[in-house]
Amino acid sequence: MTRARFDELIHPSTRLTLVATLAAADWAEFAFLKERLRLSDSALSKQLATLEEAGYVTTERRPAGTRRKVRARLTPAGREAFDGHVAALRAIVAEAGPAE
Amino acid sequence: MSDDIAPEQARSALDAVEGARRAVGEEVGLPRGYWWAMAAGWLVLGVLGDVGPVWLASVATLAFGAGHSVFATRLLSGRRRTGGLRVSADVAGRRTPLIVIGMLLALVALTIAAALGLDADGTGHPSVWAAVMAALVIGFGGPEILRVLRRWAHA
Repeated sequence: MTRARFDELIHPSTRLTLVATLAAADWAEFAFLKERLRLSDSALSKQLATLEEAGYVTTERRPAGTRRKVRARLTPAGREAFDGHVAALRAIVAEAGPAE
Repeated sequence: MSDDIAPEQARSALDAVEGARRAVGEEVGLPRGYWWAMAAGWLVLGVLGDVGPVWLASVATLAFGAGHSVFATRLLSGRRRTGGLRVSADVAGRRTPLIVIGMLLALVALTIAAALGLDADGTGHPSVWAAVMAALVIGFGGPEILRVLRRWAHA
């Protein structure tokens, strides 16, 4: 059972969507995330760097023809933090009762 | 910090999480190349069935089936439609391979029925025309048919 734990690092909306996307995939390419989240290269790089610093995400550079592609994936710690955060959000909603 | 979060905010955050998961779920499917390769194979088998000897059509059908099981098995989970991401097994579900196989079997039945119908109607080269019809359905409509079938099957 996942322990509910609100995570301030994950909660901001862009980062939450980014982590939720990575949680639903084994890995995702930088270009895919950029298009899906409608972020600029620098904005996405910044978000990924923040998550990587926290140990929630790993990125790897893979050769693709003459260029290199960046692939991101959630780490076990990132997945645990995400699951805990979602559980905490559910607890807040459950405590408040059904929406009117 | 969680004390500062209003239930409405938490609800909208959960909606964002669900939306992201659903968006990744939309990526489940097979690559376009798979459908066009399948359509081409269908066409070749239809032509061989019509103009070639029975043994050649039988060998080609077996080779096609064997080739499919070797090269397409990795794709049937539906997790590798594009090179942009690999959908998690949890999101892709376990029914996609069964749906693809069921869809292909239904198309085999449809091709045979169409060929028999065209033959009864006196059309020349019935199995070629039936294969052309099936190949067009697979090539142009394969991804969409699979998407609809997955929705019906709640896969």
